[in-house]
Amino acid sequence: MKYILLFVCCTVATLAQAQRFATRDARISFLSETPVEDIRAESTEASAIMDLANGQLAFQVPILSFHFPKALMEEHFNENYMESERFPKATFRGTVSGLDPAQSGAQNVTAKGVLEMHGVAVEREVSGTMERTGSGWVLDAQFEVPCAAHDIDIPKVVTENIAEVIAVTLHAELKAK
Amino acid sequence: MRGWIVGALALSCCALTHGVNAQDDLMDFFDEGESPSVVTSAFKAGRIINVQSPETSGKGEMNFIIAHRFGRISDGWYALFGLDNAQMRMGLDYGVTDQLQVGVARSSFGKTLEANVKWRFVEQKKGGGSPVSLTGYSVLMRDGMRFPIDGIVRKDVHRISYVHQLVVSRKCSPELSLALVPSLVHRNLVDNAEMANDVGTIGAGFRYKLNNRLSVNGEYHYLLPRPVEDDFVNSLSLGLDIETGGHVFQLHVTNSRGMFERAFLAETTSRWQDGDLYFGFNINRVFQVGDRR
Repeated sequence: MKYILLFVCCTVATLAQAQRFATRDARISFLSETPVEDIRAESTEASAIMDLANGQLAFQVPILSFHFPKALMEEHFNENYMESERFPKATFRGTVSGLDPAQSGAQNVTAKGVLEMHGVAVEREVSGTMERTGSGWVLDAQFEVPCAAHDIDIPKVVTENIAEVIAVTLHAELKAK
Repeated sequence: MRGWIVGALALSCCALTHGVNAQDDLMDFFDEGESPSVVTSAFKAGRIINVQSPETSGKGEMNFIIAHRFGRISDGWYALFGLDNAQMRMGLDYGVTDQLQVGVARSSFGKTLEANVKWRFVEQKKGGGSPVSLTGYSVLMRDGMRFPIDGIVRKDVHRISYVHQLVVSRKCSPELSLALVPSLVHRNLVDNAEMANDVGTIGAGFRYKLNNRLSVNGEYHYLLPRPVEDDFVNSLSLGLDIETGGHVFQLHVTNSRGMFERAFLAETTSRWQDGDLYFGFNINRVFQVGDRR
């Protein structure tokens, strides 16, 4: 009897393993919108992984992978604001709720967890959509990041050029791992 | 019954280890994909003070540099500590790629025109790859002064001189960057027959960040032995970089008055120990004129 149970247990573990979906080229872009100028940047080097068995979801993006239309903006972003050498990555780890793996079509989900960037971890609840595709899941989300919450200091002289709250857009195509 | 208990125990154990592992496992996925990343912004501007840093203009970026070296500080009130009397250099540096830059400049010192090219051909990387960045710089200088009327026949080619250098740089920490800069100076014409046409220098420079917008910089160039005694001395400069957003202001004190390579590397005549110093600045203003992608 106990052998059967051990077998079942191991099978469950293996099944759980197969319910992992991941990508290394998720897209994260952001927009700082002010009357003076709009600053956009995008990274296509974000990684994401999700475990359907327990709903755990994690994102990670190298700060240096965000590219801007102007090289100087990129330098300022890394050197003055994000201090990307000291804090090279932004991460989110949390749990997704409201997902029905059997359902087809886009469904609204919520991820609750911790967003860490610029060395400051903030509890966040982010809503987005997930949609089952042939080989995995497509995940889309939009959320806002207030600079002050992550100790990102914007000097007075540039407050007209840089928004206090940054709009972030995220698109990940997760494939079975 | 005993079987059930053992089984349940095994199951919960399994589930527990799985549960504990799950989050770490997820993060492991990120570590697996780790690749070496380029270390950027070792220095703030294209020059540490006088000498080239490893930085180049980004792709499509035009950097306008306006630099002044005033007169001797030791001239005192009479010349307002040198401010009455400025040498000027205006330059444009354009980024062909993020690593390759071409530039032109004009200095009032010797009425010198320059054309230069700079290429960072090895990037410093973190997590594997090169521990230093390597940047090559070559500049052609044309002396624009009228030839003296002394009976000696000079041709236009005699106005030309070249400097080739290699910048070996390492950003040691977010605050401290170092550079080692060996240079070769070639002059098509020198003042007298004994003087060597070629002279080498070994230079070193640093940048230390005080905060995100302010850094202390310094550089020193040692003139390698020459065949004959001359009046030329080693160049030493100390300064501050101030970043204001669109501009980088570099303020410094130096014993070299010329702002192009031949002048400050090989033809510096003022000495720190005599108090013959010049106050000066470089202002860098960047314009994005071309497409980045």
